[in-house]
Amino acid sequence: MRLLGLIARRLVWVPATLIGLVVLVFVISHLVPSDPARILAGENATTAQVAALRHKMGLDQPLPVQLLRYVIDVARGNMGVSLYTQTPVAGEIWRRLPATMELAFYAMLLAVLLGVPLGVVAALRRNSWFDHVLRVVTVSGLAIAAFWFAILLQLLFSMWLNLTPVQGRISDFGPSGVTGFYTIDAAISGNWSTELDVLRHLALPVITLAFPAMATIVRFTRAGVIGTLGSFFVDYQRAMGVPWRVTVWRYVLRSALTGTLTQIGLVFGNLLAGAVVVEAVFDWPGLGQFAVNSILQSDYNAILGFTIYVGVMFIVVNLLIDVGQVLLDPRGR
Amino acid sequence: MEDESREQLVLGRRGLALGAATLSMVGATPALAGGTGKFVTANNNSYDTLDPHVVFDIGRIASRLNLYDALVRWTDDPAKLNMWLAEKVDISPDALTYTFTLRDAKFHDGTPVTAEDVVYSMDRILALKKGAYGLFSSVVKPGTTKAIDPKTVQFKLAAPYAVFMAVLPEMWVVNAKMVRAHEKNGDWGGAWLARNEAGSGSFRLAHYDPAVGFSANRFPGHFMGWGPEYLDTVEFLGILEVASRVLGLEKGEFDALDGFTPYDQIKRMRGKPNVQILAKPSLRTMYFIIHNRRAPLDDVNMRRALCYAFDYNGFINNLLDGSVVRNAGIIPDTMWGAPKNLAGYTYDLDKARAALAKVKGPIRTLTINALAGYPQSGQAAELLQSGLAKIGVKTTILSQPWPVVAAKLGNEQLSADLIPLWRSAYFADPHNWTGYIYNSKQIGKGNLSFFSNKRFDELTDKALVLVKQADRQPLYEEASRILVDQAAGLFIYNTNYYGAFDKKVHGVRYCPIGDAQDMRWQWLA
Amino acid sequence: MKLLGRIARDRVALAGLIVLAVIVLAAIFAPVLAPYPLDVNTYHTAQRLLPPSAAHWFGTDQMGGDIFSRLLFGARITLITAVIAVAVSVAIGVPIGLVGGYWPGFAGDGLMRVSDVFLAVPQIVLAMAIAATLGPQIQNVILALSLTYWPFWARLVYAETRNAKNEIYVEAAVALGVPPWRVMVLHILPAIAPSLIIRTSIGLGGTILVASALGFLGLGPPPPSPEWGRMIADARAFLPGAWWDAAAPGIAILVLVMAFNLIGDGLRDVLDPKLRGQAAAKGGAVD
Repeated sequence: MRLLGLIARRLVWVPATLIGLVVLVFVISHLVPSDPARILAGENATTAQVAALRHKMGLDQPLPVQLLRYVIDVARGNMGVSLYTQTPVAGEIWRRLPATMELAFYAMLLAVLLGVPLGVVAALRRNSWFDHVLRVVTVSGLAIAAFWFAILLQLLFSMWLNLTPVQGRISDFGPSGVTGFYTIDAAISGNWSTELDVLRHLALPVITLAFPAMATIVRFTRAGVIGTLGSFFVDYQRAMGVPWRVTVWRYVLRSALTGTLTQIGLVFGNLLAGAVVVEAVFDWPGLGQFAVNSILQSDYNAILGFTIYVGVMFIVVNLLIDVGQVLLDPRGR
Repeated sequence: MEDESREQLVLGRRGLALGAATLSMVGATPALAGGTGKFVTANNNSYDTLDPHVVFDIGRIASRLNLYDALVRWTDDPAKLNMWLAEKVDISPDALTYTFTLRDAKFHDGTPVTAEDVVYSMDRILALKKGAYGLFSSVVKPGTTKAIDPKTVQFKLAAPYAVFMAVLPEMWVVNAKMVRAHEKNGDWGGAWLARNEAGSGSFRLAHYDPAVGFSANRFPGHFMGWGPEYLDTVEFLGILEVASRVLGLEKGEFDALDGFTPYDQIKRMRGKPNVQILAKPSLRTMYFIIHNRRAPLDDVNMRRALCYAFDYNGFINNLLDGSVVRNAGIIPDTMWGAPKNLAGYTYDLDKARAALAKVKGPIRTLTINALAGYPQSGQAAELLQSGLAKIGVKTTILSQPWPVVAAKLGNEQLSADLIPLWRSAYFADPHNWTGYIYNSKQIGKGNLSFFSNKRFDELTDKALVLVKQADRQPLYEEASRILVDQAAGLFIYNTNYYGAFDKKVHGVRYCPIGDAQDMRWQWLA
Repeated sequence: MKLLGRIARDRVALAGLIVLAVIVLAAIFAPVLAPYPLDVNTYHTAQRLLPPSAAHWFGTDQMGGDIFSRLLFGARITLITAVIAVAVSVAIGVPIGLVGGYWPGFAGDGLMRVSDVFLAVPQIVLAMAIAATLGPQIQNVILALSLTYWPFWARLVYAETRNAKNEIYVEAAVALGVPPWRVMVLHILPAIAPSLIIRTSIGLGGTILVASALGFLGLGPPPPSPEWGRMIADARAFLPGAWWDAAAPGIAILVLVMAFNLIGDGLRDVLDPKLRGQAAAKGGAVD
């Protein structure tokens, strides 16, 4: 029951935050006077045509009215029409979502699978050479510019070692499938050569994205384990004769994981942010590339739509993490 | 040349045989060796739309050339105009009525290409007012194109138009029934055709993702038939980064690159075992579009100052390593109509300062809109910026992808002060570089510089009415000199085409119009 | 000074401090130190894309500019952007956090909800949107970074203030009738200062990463500005041939951000051992 209450309390704020976000985004879009109707109407449009379009788009109404309409539109899933492709922004984002989600998912997986064990080992062997080397690695992971690292990997693995493709998500146009995750779609259809191709394309973007994420997780896990190891609770276990290994793996890790989980939301946000530049380098046809193209094209509707979308995802993920944390940590109930 | 081609065209069948010797075998030989697989081109900008009537550029020409056909088509180098969907044309003595007879051609859905489709296509261009609209708007009025019978279509021009045949390859014929079926709120099927295809071209659209590019499979039923070897699938990917395109070609992920690869990369790739470089003289001049109407650029002295402040030699011989040749005017020197011994401007800061001193109005910071994904464009922008800085003129550089810059061009408010880009050949006639882009009637259409000059208008108008090349040539020469004298643009060089291909690629037929992106001739071995 | 001495005992942090000092000095004295100080906006097209040599330590770029000289001037842009952006966000975020945490009722919650809205989107995404709308100029980058970074500080200070308010010395001060602003400035602020200092150092590093990413995407200062992210983006067209063109600015970013992070780590060990690990992750991996 307390869990439900907690979720309910969090949920109350979600719509408020979202509306706030939409307002914020609207304000940003009006920081500079621009005339989307002028751009949308095309190069040969007459003044009258532009005015008609402006009216149709509601751009001739007072700003508060426009804001209200924008909020209502977004709530209905309508984020307007891209000024350049002239297709609905929401549809475009929806089409590109799987590409980014697949990337972020595998990066997260890699970061957690590597980061948690490394962090635990570093904590258990504090101040060993391993700990020091790992410290250098994690500090670099948090200091390297993702776009530069991506270029570095591209040169190393694609050009010199010839192991991975230079760009893109797949050598062909994607397998048709329900999920939009090419790895899953290819597996469902049993097409293993496609699967391999997809994995080879995934490798570099995933590594680029996972590196800073892994560094974050290592540091948190390490800190969490060290903290737990120093607690009375562990001393008590030892005094009771519980084998050291059991203590570490069963109790210490669990509490350390709880701490790490709180950071997953942060890491996820960083992955989404990182995807923007990483997709630009690898021509990954996802949301990040969409955002970068939209920026280059000054396609405000698209930029704002992307911003709102990322906000929604971020809020939802954080909500799930809050819930997960409560479930994992008995004290929180 | 104009005379010859005209005669050729009037004669129809014979003209075709003359026009393309290689073509003649095409229909006769049945496919023997067959398909040679998939061909991937890495292009320097994305394909944001597939609608053949809303874009008119080289960067996105692949979708038009390969998915669609027109009545006539440019091929080979030097460029030849061939009969294509039409098998013959009759031109009335007053040069106002053009009557085309169509071949037996089929659209990708199996329905025949009829005169009705040609009429619809022309009306669609005139209604949408985008893309190649400016090529036709002055002479073809809506509703004047008639289908005499299913195989005969007639254009009635409002005035003689010497280049009508030469520009017709940009009038892509769409499947009228199909497009009509997808019309919404009078959009001429625009929303649908941007994402789909309704053509008769050599290849049939298979996949399209604006974020990635498009792929198309060979259309076996194409009316021109197929050679013994051909491609099964062509794929065009929009990849903004030069490095990715070059690496991909070297690794064999791509079979060809666009024709704008920086010369540094061409030089490097020459040593690669699996890469072949095709070098051809081209008809593409690089220049800065100058917004001739916006102060202080409306002052000829300001424009001259710009022209004296660009380091032509540094750009051509250092940055581009001598891979291009200085072209003082806008018409490529290899094209007829380009004036001989045109002096043009040199990099001379003293003269630039002198010109600047004569400028009457206040001088403000100028905006240079460079094309992202085309490094040369950015380099030219930076070089001009550096030269102008030395004479005390401030500039800011705004780098945007071609589709964005293109969307602003022709709009007097939105178009930037200066835009470094190329004037490619869309038709092999001096009109392509003069009247179409500087005649004041073309303002907002072909004329993106907002230049207007009475004498220039007279010359280029007259040149369109005359038939003989010998009569037209002196008019274009004088017109070109006016552009230089008035500094209507900052003219830099005439390019050479450097195409980078995988060694497996055969049968490339380069044409200055469309580079080498007409894929029906190529195969892999 | 005592603080510096204590950090100096941590060898890694000391290394960071030295590196930072070198870069800051290099940036300040760029006009003197740069072998070709004019190469920031003039070109020598005949000497383009030269590999590193005695004359050009880091080689030359595609316009023939000396990369080393451009890097030095680029360091100024990078440092100024980061310092101003962080200073502004601290100046906005800390008072808001203090007030919100001190009066956690209606006003405090309201302020925190506003910061929640900003924090609902990763910083670089919001910064991109703002910078893209305003246009690629250095002041717009700084504005975008400041507008998107203050909520982080507000949140941080809010939480710490609420904790500090329950400390006995603060309660005592309140009981003695010390006015709220004095309590905040004289009692709470000093208590939370250590964690602010740590995060400032790491935040500077993170801000540099975001700023350079904006530059890389073409949202930074326009050419010929030697902004590091832009330098990498421009150099890409000449890879893999002229590798030095892209290598130098990338390494510069890595070294500078690493220096800030190491100093942050060192500060944390000295000031607040409990925080180890968390600070760097929070401020660091923004992109």
